[in-house]
Amino acid sequence: MRDSPSGAAAALRRTLASWLSAPEADSRRASLSTVMLFLAPALLVYAALTAYPVLRTFYNSFFNVADLASSEFVGWAHYAEVFRDRTFWAAVRNTAIWSVIGPVLDVVAGLLLALCLYAGVPFSRFLRVAWFTPVLLSYVVVGIMWVWIYNYDWGVVNGLLRAIGLQAWAQAWLGDPRFALGSLIVTHAWKWAGFNMVVCLAALHSLPSEVLEAAELDNCGWWHKLTDIIVPMLWPTLLNLYILAFIGKMKVFDLVWIMTEGGPVWSTETVSTYVYKRAFNWNTFDLGYPSAIAVVWFFVVVGFVVFFNVLFRRRERMEY
Amino acid sequence: MTSFPRSPAGPCRVAARRSAAAAIALAGAVLALIGAPAMAQPQTLTMWSHWPDEASKRSFIEERVKQFEAATPQCKVNLQFVQKADLYTSVKTSVRTGQAPDIFWLEPDEIAFAKSGYLEPLDKYIDLANLEDWAKRAWTWNGKVYAMPQEAYSVELYYNRDLMKKIGVTLPAGMQMTQAQFTEMVKRSVAAGITPTATGVGDRPYPGAYFLQEILLRKLGTEDYEKLLTGKLPFQDPRVIEAMNWVKQLVDAGMFPRSMATMKLGESHYYFHTNPGALMFPIASWYTGRAFVAPEKGGQPKDFALGLMKYPAMDGSKCPECKTLAVGGSYVMYARSKNKECAGKMLSSLATVENGNKWMESVLLQTGVRTDPSRITSIYAPYFKELQERGAGARYFIGTPLHYMSGKCGDTFAQVLNRAFPGGLISVNDAAAQMDAACKAAG
Repeated sequence: MRDSPSGAAAALRRTLASWLSAPEADSRRASLSTVMLFLAPALLVYAALTAYPVLRTFYNSFFNVADLASSEFVGWAHYAEVFRDRTFWAAVRNTAIWSVIGPVLDVVAGLLLALCLYAGVPFSRFLRVAWFTPVLLSYVVVGIMWVWIYNYDWGVVNGLLRAIGLQAWAQAWLGDPRFALGSLIVTHAWKWAGFNMVVCLAALHSLPSEVLEAAELDNCGWWHKLTDIIVPMLWPTLLNLYILAFIGKMKVFDLVWIMTEGGPVWSTETVSTYVYKRAFNWNTFDLGYPSAIAVVWFFVVVGFVVFFNVLFRRRERMEY
Repeated sequence: MTSFPRSPAGPCRVAARRSAAAAIALAGAVLALIGAPAMAQPQTLTMWSHWPDEASKRSFIEERVKQFEAATPQCKVNLQFVQKADLYTSVKTSVRTGQAPDIFWLEPDEIAFAKSGYLEPLDKYIDLANLEDWAKRAWTWNGKVYAMPQEAYSVELYYNRDLMKKIGVTLPAGMQMTQAQFTEMVKRSVAAGITPTATGVGDRPYPGAYFLQEILLRKLGTEDYEKLLTGKLPFQDPRVIEAMNWVKQLVDAGMFPRSMATMKLGESHYYFHTNPGALMFPIASWYTGRAFVAPEKGGQPKDFALGLMKYPAMDGSKCPECKTLAVGGSYVMYARSKNKECAGKMLSSLATVENGNKWMESVLLQTGVRTDPSRITSIYAPYFKELQERGAGARYFIGTPLHYMSGKCGDTFAQVLNRAFPGGLISVNDAAAQMDAACKAAG
């Protein structure tokens, strides 16, 4: 039951009174001034490096900003332009594809690797380190490495295809719009599979052993054990990993910038790379339009975060 | 006679000395108060330049800075070399906040810096008579000159003489092939398993379009070509479509490497002269900056048989002798610099005929500073002679497409004509339609 307005006001008064009361009233509770003293540095840093830039971006999106000293107010014009911008929609499409498909690949790959280790494959200690190593590499290193791997002339992928007689399948993986986005998604999944593996492995080890033992006593095959017992029990973990990856991919920038810069023909352009290009890469100075794109995308990302939160709360209510 | 014992310093002398000391102290104080500001304070300039990986250009600039510091003791220069993309990102941010370097490197496609008021006009700082007129025009805005055009270049077609012999092709006396001859050469090269041209667009928005732009320039002539670049002539003009159809034919025949989309500019040099080796290399005359260094530093092999040919002229070309000449890396002064006096002197010291000659001799590249080529001697003199021969009788068009295109139009050029079209990923009609859609507003 929700509090009545008068009840809420009373609660607020109680809270404020407890904050503002003299320290002697409760020696364990610090005074407001002490609390503020300790909070101030963090709040200042947050205000200067997060809150102000975000608010300034909102503000700038209503102006043509060629110079901070002189801006021209344009109202909602940038927002109207954003929705007519074909490159923006191409970037939205690519980001959406990546955000939906990429996490599935990440999580499935992580789960499979974790199952391998859980099953105790040979050299599992070595493999655990080897599979986790890409997580520790920077995007720059990963990007350069995979540009080489995908190289048409001497890359490993085409080299293997040629070696097994499939030279017709050799492609300019990053140079062909049909394959470029997929190639980036695979690279990204390679980098993050190790992280998902570690989380899944921890979850696997925390599964109640009596359930798994009971399944074995009932002669449950490995496939049914996986699909009917392990995956359902891991489901909250997998869903969390999916959502984390989804949010991360909505903002993906580094790998794209290093490997393709959004090309060819905008086939790997993401919203983040497009904002960056419009702000710093085009030979124009306006920061207003890229700010408008950033604001639009900010609300899209926030919208998804809220949506997933609501979804999670409902699931929790259903489960308990 | 009573004589007073002479003290080493009698009372009068002591008093006099005290007075003198007080006067000196007072004078010193007065000087300190009123004189100091008038004295020249040492200034330290910040100067950012591109070319961190181009040894000859880097050495040239470092040497000029050293000479400037020696000749102008009150000015020190904090010189830094930064890759172009990083430099642009940094200065675009810092000019807005008043923290840009006093002098920095730009190319003329960034004239927006001047239009937005971030650059100081150089008219009163350097002797403009020492600059070539065409180079000044590239950096002129509202009647003022905004940069010292250090580097200039022409768009050339380099080739490997040995590979040319290997495929059995002899170039005509004028070094310019016809449309049919060029097509035949490309086909022979592909048949011999040699990539006809080395091109990499992985980190640049323009090299993939060099060949097409030079063909279009010759086909249309300078006036219509300028109209095309400024959106006043559509890419769907029949002459443009005809030129693009021919280039598409060459693309489909395998003219460009399949790895061009991810190959970087520096790598394309290596691809041409070392591994795997290509027949031709359509690139600006700043090829020398990367190629004329030691092979272990990525330069061309010592015995590399470098040749220079003219771009082919299509049948019915209006201006077969036309050629692109452009201003490249230039140095500008930040409008909010606190060290304008020293910055002006530094730029002035670069803008001399003597330095123009030194640049040509050591970098083997054109410059926007006036020069006297007769005084140039170096081990690469034969190359320079050949470069001049290819330019003899040329009718120059000043500027590259990206010097005329900006915003959406420039981005579409980079994606479509630089990457997708030479990569064989897009049809002629689609490419022309996309360019027209993006550049119409600019026109």
